[in-house]
Amino acid sequence: MSQATIPWIEPVPEKRVAMRRKALLVLFGGGLTALIVGCVMLGVFRALPDQVGTIVFILAGVLPILGGLGLIPLGLLNGSVVLTTLGFAQIGIGALVGGLLKATPIDPLVVGVLLLVIGPIAAGLAMLTAAGVIVAFKQVVQLLLMRWTALILFCGGIVSIILLVWAHAFVFRYVAQLANDTTLNTSATTTFGGDLTIAELSTRFSGNWRPVAFVLWPLQFGLIRDLIAMGGVIGFISIIPLYTIWWERKVAGRIQSRLGPMRVGGWHGWAQSFADGMKLICKEDFVPPEGDGTLFRLAPYLAFVPAICAFIALPFATTYVFRDLDVALLFILAMLGIEVLGVIIAGWASNNKWSVYGAMREACQMVSYEIPMGMALLVPVMTAGALRLTDIAKLQQDGFGSWLAWNNPFCLIAFFCYYTASLASCKRAPFDLPESESELVAGFHTEYSGFRWSLFFFAEYAAMFAVSGLAVILFLGAWYGPLPLSWAPAGNDIASAVVRGLLFDGPILFILKCGLLLYVQIWIRWTLPRIRIDQVLYACIQVLLPLTMLVVLGSTFWLLFDNSAHPAFESFAKVVRGLLSLVGVVISIAIAGFIIFGFVNRRRLVGTLAIEHFPGS
Amino acid sequence: MNVNTWLEPIVFFLFAGVVLFSAIGIVLTRNIVRAALFLLGTLGGVAGLYFLLMANLLAAIQLIVYAGGTLVLIVFGVMLTSKSPWVRFAPSRSEAAAATTIGLVLFAALAKIVTGIDWTVAAHPADQPATVRQVGNLLLQQYLVPFEVASVLLLVVMIGAAYLARPEN
Amino acid sequence: MADTVLESRPDLNLDVVRDEIGDVRTEEMLVNMGPQHPSTHGVLRIVLRTDGEMVLEAVPHIGYLHRCAEKIGENVAPYQYIPYTDRMDYLAGMNNNLAFSLAIEALTGLEVPKRAQVIRVIFAEMNRIASHLVSMGAYGLDMGAFTPFLYAFRERERILDLFEASCGARLTYSYITIGGVTDDVPERFIDVCREYLDYFEPKIAEYNNLLSFNHIFVKRTANVGIISAEKAINWGLSGPSLRGSGVKWDLRKVHPDCGYDEYDFDIPVGQGLKGQLGDCWDRYFVRIQEMQQSVRIVRQALDKLAGTPGEYKHKSGKSVKLPKDEIYYEIEGARGQLGFFIQGDGSQIPYRVKARGPSYCNLSITNEVVKDCLLADVPAIIGSIDVVMGEVDR
Repeated sequence: MSQATIPWIEPVPEKRVAMRRKALLVLFGGGLTALIVGCVMLGVFRALPDQVGTIVFILAGVLPILGGLGLIPLGLLNGSVVLTTLGFAQIGIGALVGGLLKATPIDPLVVGVLLLVIGPIAAGLAMLTAAGVIVAFKQVVQLLLMRWTALILFCGGIVSIILLVWAHAFVFRYVAQLANDTTLNTSATTTFGGDLTIAELSTRFSGNWRPVAFVLWPLQFGLIRDLIAMGGVIGFISIIPLYTIWWERKVAGRIQSRLGPMRVGGWHGWAQSFADGMKLICKEDFVPPEGDGTLFRLAPYLAFVPAICAFIALPFATTYVFRDLDVALLFILAMLGIEVLGVIIAGWASNNKWSVYGAMREACQMVSYEIPMGMALLVPVMTAGALRLTDIAKLQQDGFGSWLAWNNPFCLIAFFCYYTASLASCKRAPFDLPESESELVAGFHTEYSGFRWSLFFFAEYAAMFAVSGLAVILFLGAWYGPLPLSWAPAGNDIASAVVRGLLFDGPILFILKCGLLLYVQIWIRWTLPRIRIDQVLYACIQVLLPLTMLVVLGSTFWLLFDNSAHPAFESFAKVVRGLLSLVGVVISIAIAGFIIFGFVNRRRLVGTLAIEHFPGS
Repeated sequence: MNVNTWLEPIVFFLFAGVVLFSAIGIVLTRNIVRAALFLLGTLGGVAGLYFLLMANLLAAIQLIVYAGGTLVLIVFGVMLTSKSPWVRFAPSRSEAAAATTIGLVLFAALAKIVTGIDWTVAAHPADQPATVRQVGNLLLQQYLVPFEVASVLLLVVMIGAAYLARPEN
Repeated sequence: MADTVLESRPDLNLDVVRDEIGDVRTEEMLVNMGPQHPSTHGVLRIVLRTDGEMVLEAVPHIGYLHRCAEKIGENVAPYQYIPYTDRMDYLAGMNNNLAFSLAIEALTGLEVPKRAQVIRVIFAEMNRIASHLVSMGAYGLDMGAFTPFLYAFRERERILDLFEASCGARLTYSYITIGGVTDDVPERFIDVCREYLDYFEPKIAEYNNLLSFNHIFVKRTANVGIISAEKAINWGLSGPSLRGSGVKWDLRKVHPDCGYDEYDFDIPVGQGLKGQLGDCWDRYFVRIQEMQQSVRIVRQALDKLAGTPGEYKHKSGKSVKLPKDEIYYEIEGARGQLGFFIQGDGSQIPYRVKARGPSYCNLSITNEVVKDCLLADVPAIIGSIDVVMGEVDR
């Protein structure tokens, strides 16, 4: 962090002092004012409970409209877009609030508390925190540079996300329980369709606990819960590419006999991705003048949004899923297929022969490899008999031997077919011809710079995680550990929950397994050279596709006989399953062995950079 | 008033608006590639409507087959045959007249059909949306012939395309 | 059928040759590769005429690195010209110095001491190894294998450390000069060099496993850019590009100078192991094998060096006067036959200096070779010819 320069901070020291003073003035002043306003309104609401409706109507309904009516001419006169937009926004808010208060049965206290108490207090606290960071900037930087910061942030982040999700589930269950509680949910009145009203909640939480009622009230609506969950999902997805990129750079460095990022943030450059992100945001917004500007701007989002949408249906554990779709697998495949369009449009709109070449190759490759990918995924679906990912995962909870990859030999081959096809679908080496730097400069994203370019990379890494996630769920035992679930300690206390989460069944295991598959992808990328486009398509149509078809056929026949109607074959199948599990154990130990060997010998593998120099003449 | 009762029309109008806007865009835009992209909007909007009707399988297949397959093919064709990003349509008068006539006739027919149907919805839609298993059973038992005919049709299309695209010698 | 109307915006393909409207397949494009391009080795501009993915014609445009080296030769004395020769083939500076020094010594009849000859051989061969390492690494990088490039540079770092200890520079040495070398080798040079060779030799086998015999690499380079022996000779190829086509011709054996006939080494030629004889893989593999042979030569030379005391430089190397005569002298450089034509006019300053850069002649075959290959093969072919623009443009 001490090395990163933030472009919008004045580099000239004298001007910087003035800027700092102005910033502190604004933040402290604004923060304190907001806090005072919030507290005053809280007092007003407590003192005059009957006048709440009129107070809120005037302050949050009429006043913004008047203010907006005043700002708009001011903005138009000065030609300031910001002021005009602010004016319109104020009129909009005022109208909305007024309409809500007059037309719907909403409790004005709710609106008032939200807009006039919680809002200002939160804004005030945020501004004061920002001011605090500016005042104590040096100390903050020192803190971030400490060795353990990265570890604390990393582990703390994971733990807090898990706790957050768990807390959400707990609170939602609690609210549902309250809703079913007939002693509480007495009246049949509903506001916006929610069974509990503030009044009813207030009977349970009264006096000083009243704010809890306000917090719990919106949580009974599915819409609000979904919005919160979506925020969590999007937050998690945004962190994954950041850290996968950092990890890739470290792994690439180690494979190449060097160290990778080491400086930014202190310990092994953990903040490198943040620094890169800030730099990319501040780059010039360049749009090729002769290309199609609208399409050029649209293309990164066409690539990025489907990759995120795939996470709607991807479960991280039995209850850690945004929407448990019954066609989750098809949905994820559909989303990964729409990414092709973003790439094609990006190449086309750049008005650059090289980009068009890259886009064409890319589209060919991605579309062709969707076929073996889908067909290879059919095998575990047939074995499990469901498209719902949580159902498929449920079959794999009896330990290592029950994972679908060792279920029958065709599943094992299907796993490798799927993994290869998914590498091509994510444009990863050895299939990264569209991005091939040495040949087409940068393929379809040659003309992209700054934030738009980083969106393509976000999409790529998010897609990598999604396909790894699919491979883990369908073949490698989903979020279950190598030990059977029946050995797990049942019980609701903290200790057994932690043991269960870490060893037997939980999102941490899922993320670890996905991480392993990501690591193998990175490993392959930095080891193998690149395949030419005609060889790529040859490999797909003439090698992978017939192989996948054979595997599907074989799996069909296997499943035909592997049931209780053919006891002889069933026992044979059990033996084969045992042997394949053994093969799986051997492969796992081999991979683990490689990784441990590399870690233990990490200094030797750096090479001769650290060795004494020959005494010069 | 349930939250779903007022939320559902909003979402429906949102998706329907996307579909209509994209469809009008296809017709009105003069840039071929943009027309293809508006088609993406239409197909995506229709998929959204399918999700709203709880027909998840249909929506996913719409996205895979149409948006991810057919549309990519169309965009490919459009890009390979247009000679610059700024090629525009300029239909002649007779073509415009013919298109308008056909459009009006189609509109009249559709309007007659739409107004003549009894649109009452069953009081309870299916309690559980049709599962993949049921759809699969139907496809392999009751509707087997159309299923197989469709695959034969696709095979014919592929062979025809390979024949048409063969090198000259 | 609706007519498509082209708006009045500049077109992508100003120079497109179009057939009847609607026939897409014969639309040709002129594609410009370079001069700034990650995979052309240096500032090389190649204009490709392609039909889809197939390349019809490739015209190299050179001259971006021209620095009037030959004209400068007419203004400075030979010992002052040595640094200019460094910068021609900058990856194998010692070999350039050697060629020029040998040419001047042959012209003036200067006698080089025995010890200097042995030192010259050591450094020339070590620089050949370093140059081939870069060639191998960059070739892997072109093919998308990012890692061998860094391994090659790791080994090269140690060679450059040795060079830095001997002459103070890592890239432009000016070490081999008229009459010998500028300074004797440092104290523990022989031991450290032997240590390095022991460390380096097993690495070549590693590179073979990682890159040379890698299935994907072989598929990208075998049967691509085939140059027959006859064609290679007709077009004036030399060095590994010639030997890759099966022609056993190496100036170190044909007319050895500098004591090369006293060393025991083989000349690797391409044998068509992975595809047809004379393809890119053969040329690449010849370089790998040459590295092994160079290691052999250096070992023998190190043994010899310990037993060859004496002067490292002729006394009058700096003040040599060029007779009214001319000479063309070639040696086997890292990239081929590197020759200098020097015409003296009786004074210290030559009348004319011309350098024959092997990469210049090797590059000329580009158009011939890329006919009917795919666009992705062009970097493969150029990488296998291994051009250095400093030599091409001088």
